[in-house]
Amino acid sequence: MATTTSSSVVCSINPILPASQINPLFSFAPTTTGPLQRRLLTVSVRAQDSDGQLSQQPQQQLNLSVLRFTLGIPGLDESYLPRWIGVGFGLLVLLNHFLSSNPTSPQIRSEILGFCLAAFSAMLPYLGRFLEGVSSVNRLLLPEESKQIFILSENLSTAQREDLAWASYALLRNTNTMSVLIAVKDFLCIRGCWDTPEKVSKAAIIDQFKDQIQQAGFRGLTETLYFPRYTETQVGKILPKGVLSVVIHPIGSTSYSSESTEGLVLVASNSNYAYSDKDIAWIKSVANKFQLMAP
Amino acid sequence: METSSRSLLSPRPSPFRPRFHLHFNSVRSSPVPRASSSPPPPPVTTPQGMYRGVKPQRDWIGEWASNNADFVRILPILVGGVSLVAVLLNRAFSGIAPVADASSSQSRADILTLSLAVTDILTGLIWLSIRPKYIPPVVPSGVECKWVKPGISTDASRELLWFWESLSTATCCKSLVVVYGNDCLLQIGVAAESSEGDGGIVAVDVNKLTQGSLYKSCMQSSKQSYLANLPLYPGRSELPFLPNNTQALILQPIGDRGVAIIGGDTVKGFTTTDQAWISMVAEKIDSTLSKFCEALAEA
Repeated sequence: MATTTSSSVVCSINPILPASQINPLFSFAPTTTGPLQRRLLTVSVRAQDSDGQLSQQPQQQLNLSVLRFTLGIPGLDESYLPRWIGVGFGLLVLLNHFLSSNPTSPQIRSEILGFCLAAFSAMLPYLGRFLEGVSSVNRLLLPEESKQIFILSENLSTAQREDLAWASYALLRNTNTMSVLIAVKDFLCIRGCWDTPEKVSKAAIIDQFKDQIQQAGFRGLTETLYFPRYTETQVGKILPKGVLSVVIHPIGSTSYSSESTEGLVLVASNSNYAYSDKDIAWIKSVANKFQLMAP
Repeated sequence: METSSRSLLSPRPSPFRPRFHLHFNSVRSSPVPRASSSPPPPPVTTPQGMYRGVKPQRDWIGEWASNNADFVRILPILVGGVSLVAVLLNRAFSGIAPVADASSSQSRADILTLSLAVTDILTGLIWLSIRPKYIPPVVPSGVECKWVKPGISTDASRELLWFWESLSTATCCKSLVVVYGNDCLLQIGVAAESSEGDGGIVAVDVNKLTQGSLYKSCMQSSKQSYLANLPLYPGRSELPFLPNNTQALILQPIGDRGVAIIGGDTVKGFTTTDQAWISMVAEKIDSTLSKFCEALAEA
């Protein structure tokens, strides 16, 4: 007897374990895709029979992994290949149309179909972003003209400095981030690539950032903002050039304390759609760490 | 096999069985608003400080694609297949000779269109091949608990609770145990129910845990150990304090003096992103707990 809480279970075999340790799990056909329901299901689970042979379910799925390929060119994103092929072949169709002396109706029909397919192919990488497992954002190279800085406010305790340093490092390391700004009350941590003026003191830079945060109106923010295709006019001049994705999460109160801390965590990336739901969840977790930061 | 259980008479704080509800954002909550690239007005703040600036607009196409992922995956195959058939029918019913002649504009147009159709079909097949298999979560069977070792510093306690909050929000973690310096500092989430039937939980036997192969191999390698399908692993019996239907497990060394035992409710539920974050958070926790232990030693 086996009890599950789901309406569908897929047969899964751990690829890590050697075959001698694999026990086939129960499997049955998926029934509905509605909300999860608690059911009592009777299934048969056979570990090993008397001959020591494992009973296995026949492979139902077609193995399409042979279609996956890579050109092996570093820095080339193969997920954009349909777009390039679409644009290239679309231009060839156009060229063919103008080179033909007297296009017939069947030819025009073919060319129109070709244009439509070219446009659809160009759109495929955009659709693919929203599918799980299709596109994973690779870390892009930092802009050549960028300058990396690491500035902490003065008058911070050792523990606060450690927390801010760790949090900024973790965000830069574990997400596709090039710029981090953590503001907790009047304390700032600025790390990564920022367009800061030359020969300006750290205190002046901090004051400048505080002014920009004030001008952008982030102090009253109560919800997470995610700009997956950021433009420079969207949140003012606080962000450096080349930023294409931004996440801004406010720091508020939690159930663990009645105290609240004003602040925000801002991360910026030089690629579009750089942050997944998982990344945003961890960014929020990092921000929650500073909710109880003492003044 | 004897297992110690936390009872009401133990010197440790008696375990309780609350409906432990954590008030923080969940990954599965309403989606974060996403922006399109339209020019915005300048931000404005009211005297009360409420943010009235630019907010991301909903990406309708993206939401539709996410909600209809299965259809989107086969869409290129459908479009490419229909187009392929249409090109062949167009050629057949137009009275054109079935010969691919490079000097013919018609043939060139047909070949280009067929190539685009095949490209779309192959893209759809690739999307199908990399579709992740859905594995449903399993509700852990046990008792919810929240036990923090009495006497640890506020900073250490806060750090550990933040660790749990992060894991339970961002990952499939349902159970967390932190052992540091041969002592259990935290047991939180869903724990195995005590066999005494008093609603208590199975406490962590640190001595027994540290003698087990799981702990030893983890500490010897000083690397994170991820058991993606825990029910298949024979060493599961070394962790009697976890719910017996825990699906995935991560053993994360905390420096060289402790380990975090993280139980999840989904087979292969922890992603590579989760693993990276857990490793990094463990370093931070090691720093905090080592200071606590040093302060304790000096006292």
